[in-house]
Amino acid sequence: MTHDRHTETDGGATIDDEFLEPVVVDESEMGLPPMTSVKRWLLTTNHKDVGILYLVTSLFFFVFAGILALLIRLQLWSPGEGILSAVAYNQTVSAHGLLMVFWFISPLAFGFANYVVPLQIGAKDLAFPRLNALSYWLYLFSGLLFLVSFFQGGTLDGGWTMYAPLNIATYTPNIGATTVVLALILFTIGITMSSVNFLTTIHRMRAEGMTLMRLPLFSMSILLTVWMMLFAFAALLAALLILTSDRLLGTSYFAADAGGSILWAHLFWFFGHPEVYIVFFPALGVMAEVFQTFTGRRLVGRKWFVASMVLVAVQSFMVWMHHMFLTSINLPVKTLFMATTIGISLPFDLMVFALIYTLVKGRVRFTTPFLFAFGALVLFILGGITGVFLGAVVLDYEFRGTYWVVAHFHYVMVGGATALFGAIYYWFPKITGRMYDEFLGKVHFAMYFVGFNLLYFPMFLAWETPRRVYEYDIGLTPWHRLATIGAFLLGASFLVMFYNLYRSLSVGESAPANPWEYATTAEWAVSSPPPLENFPGRPSYATGMLSFLTASGTPAVSGGGRTDGGVADAHRLDTQSAHDAHAHHDSHASPWPVVIALGAFLALLGLSALKQGAFPEGVVGMVYGGTALFGSVVLALSLVQFGRESFHTSEPDVAERWPFAGVERTKLGVWIFLASDVVLFGAFIGSYIFIRVAAGWMGWEPVPHDPVPGLVNTYLLLTSSFSVVLALVAAQKRNRTWLVATLSLTFLLGVAFLVNKGLEWVELFHEGVTFSSGVQASTFYLTTGLHAVHVILGLLILGFLIARAVGGAYLDDERPVEYFGLYWHFVDIVWLFLFPLFYIL
Amino acid sequence: MGVVTGVETAGVPLHSQGLLPSGSRIAVFSEIFTVFLVLGTFVGVLVIGYMLYNAYRYRDGDHRTDDADRPVLGELPGDSGGGRKLLFSFSLSAIVVVSLIVWTYGALLDVESVSAQSADADNGVDVRVEGYQFGWRFVYLNGYQSNELRVPADTTVRLSVTSDDVFHNFGIPALRVKMDAIPGQTTETWFVADDPGTYQANCYELCGAGHSFMNAPVVVMEPDEYDAWYGSTTAANESSSANESSDDAEATTA
Amino acid sequence: MTSTKLYAVIYVVLFVMATAQVLVEFAGLSYWLAFGVILALSAVKALLVAGYYQHLLFEPRSISYLLVVGLLAAVGLTLAAAYSIS
Repeated sequence: MTHDRHTETDGGATIDDEFLEPVVVDESEMGLPPMTSVKRWLLTTNHKDVGILYLVTSLFFFVFAGILALLIRLQLWSPGEGILSAVAYNQTVSAHGLLMVFWFISPLAFGFANYVVPLQIGAKDLAFPRLNALSYWLYLFSGLLFLVSFFQGGTLDGGWTMYAPLNIATYTPNIGATTVVLALILFTIGITMSSVNFLTTIHRMRAEGMTLMRLPLFSMSILLTVWMMLFAFAALLAALLILTSDRLLGTSYFAADAGGSILWAHLFWFFGHPEVYIVFFPALGVMAEVFQTFTGRRLVGRKWFVASMVLVAVQSFMVWMHHMFLTSINLPVKTLFMATTIGISLPFDLMVFALIYTLVKGRVRFTTPFLFAFGALVLFILGGITGVFLGAVVLDYEFRGTYWVVAHFHYVMVGGATALFGAIYYWFPKITGRMYDEFLGKVHFAMYFVGFNLLYFPMFLAWETPRRVYEYDIGLTPWHRLATIGAFLLGASFLVMFYNLYRSLSVGESAPANPWEYATTAEWAVSSPPPLENFPGRPSYATGMLSFLTASGTPAVSGGGRTDGGVADAHRLDTQSAHDAHAHHDSHASPWPVVIALGAFLALLGLSALKQGAFPEGVVGMVYGGTALFGSVVLALSLVQFGRESFHTSEPDVAERWPFAGVERTKLGVWIFLASDVVLFGAFIGSYIFIRVAAGWMGWEPVPHDPVPGLVNTYLLLTSSFSVVLALVAAQKRNRTWLVATLSLTFLLGVAFLVNKGLEWVELFHEGVTFSSGVQASTFYLTTGLHAVHVILGLLILGFLIARAVGGAYLDDERPVEYFGLYWHFVDIVWLFLFPLFYIL
Repeated sequence: MGVVTGVETAGVPLHSQGLLPSGSRIAVFSEIFTVFLVLGTFVGVLVIGYMLYNAYRYRDGDHRTDDADRPVLGELPGDSGGGRKLLFSFSLSAIVVVSLIVWTYGALLDVESVSAQSADADNGVDVRVEGYQFGWRFVYLNGYQSNELRVPADTTVRLSVTSDDVFHNFGIPALRVKMDAIPGQTTETWFVADDPGTYQANCYELCGAGHSFMNAPVVVMEPDEYDAWYGSTTAANESSSANESSDDAEATTA
Repeated sequence: MTSTKLYAVIYVVLFVMATAQVLVEFAGLSYWLAFGVILALSAVKALLVAGYYQHLLFEPRSISYLLVVGLLAAVGLTLAAAYSIS
C-alpha cells in the first residue's frame, strides 16, 4: 500500500488502516486454499468468492450470447438467407434470448449481490454459505448443459418464450431442445435456493440499527428482486416440469386442443413479466447507489423511491396477460390488464424523476461508473416512453411480433445491463484492490453508448419488420445495416473493457478502502478487497453511523465522528466475546456443492434422450441411460455427504430481523422455500383447473373411478403427519426409542402411501389409461405424480434422519425433526386438496 | 377522416367531433401513433434535456465552492428531501399517461366490436383463416379455399383465425390487422381495406423453420370485381372439407 | 402431556373430516353445493394441520402472511387465467 496509514476521507469516516489490511487470519486454517489455486475456487463457500465466480461466469455467457447476436445481425445485413440456415437462425435467436436473459443479466447482478449485499448489511456471509455455493454450481452446470445441447442435433429453436405447442417434441424433436428445458430446470432450482438464501440473509442478518427501510438501495433492490424471484420462478418451474413431462413421458398438456397452447402462455408470462423487473431491479439499485455517490447527494424522495419499487414488485404479478392481448382472452380481462399495465408504469416515472432530481445541486463527477449509470437512465427513459405505446392496446395489436417490441425491450433490458456494466467499474476496485484505467473506461462508455443507439434505435424506425424473421421488406435494409454496424461497435467496446480490466488487475493503481468520495455504504469502510470475514468487529449502526465493535466493547474502528455509541453498547458485547472466539472457526469450504451440481448435470444430460418414457434403442440409448444412472448415483452420494459434513456457520447475536425476529434461521429458510412450493403446486393445480375449464368443467370425470384408494392414502398421510408430531415430542423429551419408533412409523406410512398409489397406477395402466391417454389422464398423473415425488424426497430425508437418530442425534437439538415436519405436513396439506380435486369432484 | 360504413359503432358520440380516434383501423392506428409519437418525442427531449442540463450545471470542479451537507462514509442511507417536487412531477406524468391511454380506450372498444359487426351479416365478408406450418389457408363461406386472400375494398372483412398445428400470428401490416392463430381456439378480428391493391400477410409468431417465409398475398379488389370473382368460386374439391381444420396434404408437406 | 393430547384430538378430527368429505359426495347434494362443502372441508383440515402441526398459530404472524402471499399468487393466476377464456 502506498497511501498514508491514515486514510482521511472527506468529512467522513476516520479509518485506521491497521484494520483495513487483510486480517492476518490464515485462510488455510479454515480449509480454504489461496486464491491462486484452482482448488480454492472449487471449494469456496465464501460470498465474495462466489460473487466473483458469478461475475466471471456471467461474462462468459455474455460473450457467447453476444456472438450469437452478431450472427443474427450478420444474417440481417440484407433480407433473405445469409450465413445461417432457417433452422440455425431460429436456434441462434432462441439461444441468444435464453442465454442473455437467464444466464447473463441476472447472474451478473447476482455476482454483485453476492459480493456486496452481505457487506452492505453488515453480515459476515450469507445465511447458508454452502447452499450459496451450490446455487452457483447449479447455475454454471445448467449453462454447460445448455451448451451441450448445441451438439445434440441442434439446440432449442422455439424462441426464448418457447410457445406451445411448438415447444413439444412433435414440432421440436431435437434432443438438444429437451436438454435446454432441463438446463432451465436446473437453473431454476439454483435460483430458488438463492432466493431462499438471500431472503433469509437480508431479513435476519442486518447490522444493528439497519432497519429494513434503511437498507442501502442496492441491497433493497436485491431484496425485492429475490422476493419476486421466489414466486415467479416457481411458476416457471411448474411450466418447465409440465413441458418436460410432455417431452419425456408423453403427457399431453400443451398439445391439448382445449387451452393447451394458452396454458403455456399464462404460466410463462406469469413468470415472464416479473422476470423483466427481476432483471431490471438490480440495475435500478446500482443506478441509485452510483448516482448518490457521484452526485454527492442522498437520493431525492428516498422513501417514495422505495415505495415505488415495492409497488412494482407486487404489481408485477398482475400484468402478465398484456403479453396475450391478441389471444382469445375476453375484453373485460383485456381492460383490467391494460389498467394494471399502466398502473405499473407509473411508479417508474417517480423513480426516474427521483434519480434526475438527485443531480440537482450535486457535485457531479463523470467517472466511468457514473457515465454508465447516467447512460442507463437515458436508455431506460427511451425504453419507458416506447413502452407506453405498447400499453395502448390498439397500438399493441399492431406492434405485436414486430421490431417495435424488440427495440423496446432491448432499450429496457440492455439499458438495465448498462447500469450493471457501470457496476463492474464501480466495484472493481473493491473486488480486486486495483483501480481500472479511467480513460479506457470512458472510451468503453463512448463506444458502448453510440453502438447501443446505433444498434437499437434503427429498430424503432424499421419496426414493421416481423420478429425472428430474416426476410424483410427491402426498403428497410438501410436501418438493418445501421443496426448491424452498431452491433459490432457495441461488441468492440467490450474488447476495450476486457483489456482495461485485465491490464488493471496487474498494473492498476492500488485501490484504497474507499476510492469514491461521498460513498456511504459499508463495503467502502473495509479494505479493498475485504478480509475473509469482512469486518474488523461487529458492524453496528446503533448511533446512526457505522462503527465496528470489538468483544471488549470499545469501538475497533469508527465509521464516523461519533464513537460514543459503541460504549453504550458495551453491555451487549460482553456476552459476545465467547461468540467471537469461535466465530473465527466458521467453515468456508466444502467440496460437495460442485459434486452435487455435477451429478445433477449428468443425470439430466442422460435423461434428455428420454421419449415417451423410454430411452432410444441401441448404443446411444445405453450411453444416455448409463449417464443418467451414473449422475443419479453421484447426486445421491454427494447429497448424503453434504448432509453428513460438519459445516459450521454462526449467526450474529445482535441483528435487525424485522419482520422475522423470533424465527430461527433455518426454520425461516424452510418456510420461505415452502412458500415457493405453494406457488409450484398452485400453478400445477391452476393448470388442471384451467384445462378443465377450457374443456368444459362438467364433462370431465375423475380419472380413478374409485375414490377409496385415494381416501386410504388420505388416512395414511394424516396418520404420518401425526406420527411426525409425536416424533418431535419424543425428541423434545429426549426419548431416543420413541423418536426412532415414530420416525420409522412415519417412514412406513409414507412407503404405504406410495405402494397404494403404485397399485392404483398399475391398475389404471392395465386398463389402458397411460400418461399419453389424453389431457385428462395427463393432469391426474402429473399433478399427483409431482406430489408423489415430494413424498419420495421426504422419505429420503426421513431415512437420513432415522439413521442419525439411531446414533443418538436430535436429542439435544430437535430442530431438524421439527423442520422436516414442516415439509412433511405441507406435503400432507397438498394432498388434502389433490384428493377431492382428482378423486371426487 | 375516411369514415367507413359498418365500422362506426353507436354510443360514442365524440367520434363525430373528431376528438376520439375513429375510422378504419389504418386511420385509427395512424392517428393514435402520431399523437403518441409527438408527445413521446416531446417528453423524451424535455426529460433527457433536463437531465443533461443538470448534470452539466452541477458538474464537479474548481468552480464549486459549496459546502452543502454531503453524504459521509458509514452513515445510514438517508434522503435529500425534495418530496413535493418529486410528487408533483410524478402526478403530472401520471395524468399524461393515464389520459393518453383512456383516450385510446374507445378505439379499443371499436376494434373489439367484431361481434357487433357480425350481427350485421349482410354487410361484409367472412373468411376463416387457418395457419399451418408454413402457410395460410383462407376458407370462404361457400367452401372455397385458397392460399391467397381476396377481399373487396371499403367493406368490413371479418376473420376467424385458427391454426392446424402450432401457435402462429396472422397479420397484414399495411391494413393494420393482426390476430393470434392458436391451435384449438378461434379468435376473431376484422379490417376494412380502403384501397384496392396487393398486400402481404405475414406470420408474427415464431413457428418453426419456415417462419420467415410464411406469407400470403392479400388482394383487395373493387367490390364489383370481387362479387364477380366470388360468384365464380366453388367449394374446394380436395379431400378435406372446407370447414374443418383437419390436416391436409399441403399442411404436412409444406 | 397436554400437547400430545391436543395433537391426538386434532388427528381424530382430521380423520373424521376426511371420511365425511367422501360421504358428502354420495349425499346427493347438487354438484356445486357438494363442491363447496368438500373444498371447505379440505380448507379446514389444511388450516388445522398448518395451525397446530406446523404450529403456525404460535409463530410470528409474518410467516403466515408469507404463505398467504404465495397462495394468493397461485389463486390469482388460476382465477384470472380460467376467467380470461370464458
